[in-house]
Amino acid sequence: MQLHYHNPERGDLGKTFYGYPRANGDVGTRNHLLILGVTGLTAPIVRRLGGMLPHAVALATTSGSGLIGDDKAMHLCLLKGLATHPNVGGVLVLGHDGRLVSAVADAAMAISRPVESLVFDDLGHDALVMTEHGLKAAVGLMHRISRERRECCNAQKLFLGLECGRSDPSSGLVANPLVGLIADSIVDAGGRAVIGETTEWLGAEHLLAERAATPELAQTILDAALRREQMAIDAGIDLTGANPGQTNIDAGLSSIEEKSLGAIAKSGSRPIKGLLRYAERPREQGLHVMDQGSYAPESVTGFVAAGANLVLFTTGVGNAYGSALAPSIKVSGNPETAARLGHQLDFDASKAFRGERSLEDLAEELETLVLDIASGSLTWSEALNETNEAFTRLGPSF
Amino acid sequence: MTTAIDAIRLSRDDNVATVLRAVAPGEAINVRGPDGVAIFEAAGPLPLCHKVALQMLSKGTAIVKYGQPIGTLVQDAAPGDLVHVHNMISNRGRRV
Repeated sequence: MQLHYHNPERGDLGKTFYGYPRANGDVGTRNHLLILGVTGLTAPIVRRLGGMLPHAVALATTSGSGLIGDDKAMHLCLLKGLATHPNVGGVLVLGHDGRLVSAVADAAMAISRPVESLVFDDLGHDALVMTEHGLKAAVGLMHRISRERRECCNAQKLFLGLECGRSDPSSGLVANPLVGLIADSIVDAGGRAVIGETTEWLGAEHLLAERAATPELAQTILDAALRREQMAIDAGIDLTGANPGQTNIDAGLSSIEEKSLGAIAKSGSRPIKGLLRYAERPREQGLHVMDQGSYAPESVTGFVAAGANLVLFTTGVGNAYGSALAPSIKVSGNPETAARLGHQLDFDASKAFRGERSLEDLAEELETLVLDIASGSLTWSEALNETNEAFTRLGPSF
Repeated sequence: MTTAIDAIRLSRDDNVATVLRAVAPGEAINVRGPDGVAIFEAAGPLPLCHKVALQMLSKGTAIVKYGQPIGTLVQDAAPGDLVHVHNMISNRGRRV
């Protein structure tokens, strides 16, 4: 991992940041070596290699065999999405299943991303041998990708994942609308943004549908929300208590409708171009919605696997979690959270809560920080390595 | 000198406001809305960020925040009362 700090320049290019241009046109906000385990049997080796090479990002699924249908397709899409992520300068793919390893490694190779792969079946399932080969391959890749340099890039190369975690009513008043202003600004610059957490559209889905680029998409958004609601009803639960969860309720959120109306403010005000499946890459610029679960680790990885190279992560009562691949910028407008957990916030928006600063005013400051972090300044969760990715599953294994 | 704002009503259609600080029972609170500031008296304790009723609301009334319905009142509420899960329910994702 090579990090350089630069102040972004604002010139004829409009909004810019310093990023790592990739051969496929993407731009990284980081230049990580990813050690990616694509099967559960090789996860311990990935963890061992990660321990030996603390500058690499080591991630491994616990699944690998016996997946079927949509679940299998999604799992593969997720693995390929991580292997080809803009912030991954090079990737070492490890797994026991040669076909799966090839499928993921080929995706990286197809976009000329430096990649090495190792198949446990070919090494007789000798963990010491795979560790030795893996270490050699990873060090070689890390050496190679360290030659990449940041260049001045247009903000249209930013793809924002818009997340909220441990929300409270301050989220809907301050942090989410503030992040919405940044989303508008990056979308206007030609960039991308995505919101997800489908349950948190309930009660606000009509407002999202009104912003859909086509009537068909509007219907798809409404259907996705209703499908998610029906899942709760079929499971025999009340959403209240599950989402909003007890933390949200203790903080003052009384219903999913109230939470959703606050949550969708993160999306800003621009038209919605498409609805993505979990981990699916958007085909065009602009704002997208992703149909997915609402737990932050799962949701964030859905955005990251879709190619988000930066996450704007709002919280009400405080949330430490960040993505391992995409810098996650933590924003809160709750003055109690700012006082108690200010050290782990990247942006304290409580002045807007107290009415001392306008959202527009703070948005300018936050956008400068966003471009700085895109250019290499660390987020709090990166500095502490309070980061992970989730290998979400949709169904049972066989 | 400007009046300190204790709560915010986000839309003209809203029948609740969100308190911006913890409020003690009997305290007067300045509620800022789209049409200016109105003064209410807190009936009970209002924790930070919780909702306060701004008018007489009878059981079955839709609670409106952000100009949108966020649930239904299950018991009568008076101005200054806390509105939360003890007296309102969601209309979505409910066990039938």
